[in-house]
Amino acid sequence: MKSTAYNLIMSALYKGMKGDRPPAGNPTSIVCHGLMDACGVSFPEAHLNSHAMAELALAGHEILGFDTVMPEYSVDQEAAALGCEIDWGDRDRMPDTRFFPHADFSDVKVPEDFLERPSIRVVLDALSSLRRHVGGKAAIIGKVMGPWTLSYHVAGTQNFLLQIGMEEKDKVKKMLRQLMPATIASARAQFQAGADIVVLADHATGNLVGAYHYEEYLLPVHKELTAAIEGPLILHVCGNCMDRLEMFADAGFDGYHFEWQVDAKAAVDKVGHRMCLVGNVNNAQVLYQGTPDDVYRQARYAIDAGVDIIGPECAIPLATPMENLKAIVSAVHEGY
Amino acid sequence: MSEMLQQIKDAVIARKRLEIQGLVQAALDEGMDPDTIIDKGLIAAMDVVGKKFSDSEIFVPEMLVSALTMKMGLDVVKPLLLKRGDSRSRGTIIMATVKGDIHDIGKNIVIMMLEGAGFQVVDLGVDLTVEKLVEQIETIGPHLLGLSALLTTTMPEMRRTIDVLREKGLKEKLKVMVGGAPVSASFAEEIGADGYGADAAEAVELARRLIGQAPG
Repeated sequence: MKSTAYNLIMSALYKGMKGDRPPAGNPTSIVCHGLMDACGVSFPEAHLNSHAMAELALAGHEILGFDTVMPEYSVDQEAAALGCEIDWGDRDRMPDTRFFPHADFSDVKVPEDFLERPSIRVVLDALSSLRRHVGGKAAIIGKVMGPWTLSYHVAGTQNFLLQIGMEEKDKVKKMLRQLMPATIASARAQFQAGADIVVLADHATGNLVGAYHYEEYLLPVHKELTAAIEGPLILHVCGNCMDRLEMFADAGFDGYHFEWQVDAKAAVDKVGHRMCLVGNVNNAQVLYQGTPDDVYRQARYAIDAGVDIIGPECAIPLATPMENLKAIVSAVHEGY
Repeated sequence: MSEMLQQIKDAVIARKRLEIQGLVQAALDEGMDPDTIIDKGLIAAMDVVGKKFSDSEIFVPEMLVSALTMKMGLDVVKPLLLKRGDSRSRGTIIMATVKGDIHDIGKNIVIMMLEGAGFQVVDLGVDLTVEKLVEQIETIGPHLLGLSALLTTTMPEMRRTIDVLREKGLKEKLKVMVGGAPVSASFAEEIGADGYGADAAEAVELARRLIGQAPG
């Protein structure tokens, strides 16, 4: 196998041939101020304009040296298309959902023109553009939100969690089910537009909700999603999810993008034979506040533990120094 | 502990939000002291809930409903405290989520617990600019400021907030506690905060300790 960026990522995804070195990948945003300055594209433009979006994604590959390009930086693209009011933020601030149209748990209907709505179209166009630029060279990663995250957006996070706490099971399950078509449509369209892999982010976050919540509400939904979306899917769930790793594998995901709170060795022991593991360099203490040496050491720990694709654990703080991101790339270039 | 008090405590722990107000009212009707109901019933229950949360026996959905149940109980008792002129205030705390972050569940739970513990809490909400915060600190003069952030992307804003408070000479006038998923004790120390709470129960403990030390 040629050790090209694309080959290394795709082979690692399916735990195939190893090549010369492990790949560096970013299922979530690696945009920082330095990267915006280096390529002359900034937030919020990069959430709203497909050229800017693709340009910034390319910078992650061409300037930082990651083996992937991932053009979706916010978690709000589907929410906007579902009628939520989005504050698209600025150079220093990620976008946020400001108005929750189904706080009353009224029926959610995915609009017929969902894929044509501007916030979805922009991602699809950026993916197509990336395909033309780096198709077959770097692995192109798309990103969609799962029904759990979309429920936070359409109903409000606290409100949604409160209904779970009050055991309003039918209400919660109905909302998740009504949002599934948005995730499926978005993921399928991203593959058709040019994504090699799609990250499905669904924030049933460890420490926020328990494995028992995941098992009851989300596992059946995720099984249906992985069956309905044929392309390779990497699940992203934040927090310490050690208690539900096996359920993620049971759900049928090809990979899991995980945080440093889950020890890399323990994760590999538990599910490394069943799915690709991606991560898990710490954002807060290491990438944002640490030195390139700290980053290097953590990346090497993940490589030695058997993590398949090395990258930050989650979307990085915007003030993260570029040298720290490059230290991940240096660590993988040393080989296994 | 009396059976009634135990029932109040159990109702908060078991999230019986539809029963709590009747139980508290019944205890008051029996002549139970409102402070006892709060401290040994409602707050004591939240200590248990906080412990269950720390032990990963329950998670935020259950914690939210228990906190809501406690608050509903407090709502029955509070008018009586006001009537007898007892504000029970153990100090004033401003709470906010920093600029760029609109996540407030953790903050809201901490606020409910702090209020239960007898502090007067001013909630300045989410995505709070430093300018607005400075203005409010100057007006309210709190003993303690609690800052929250959920996103690693907004942690730098915590540092900036404390820097601005220092520049304006406000930092010496109050204590600052920080919390939120990406925050750690070492980060708190590095940015010059006076303390860090890993969860709501720790935040209440920290508030008690810091307000004991607050100047003035």
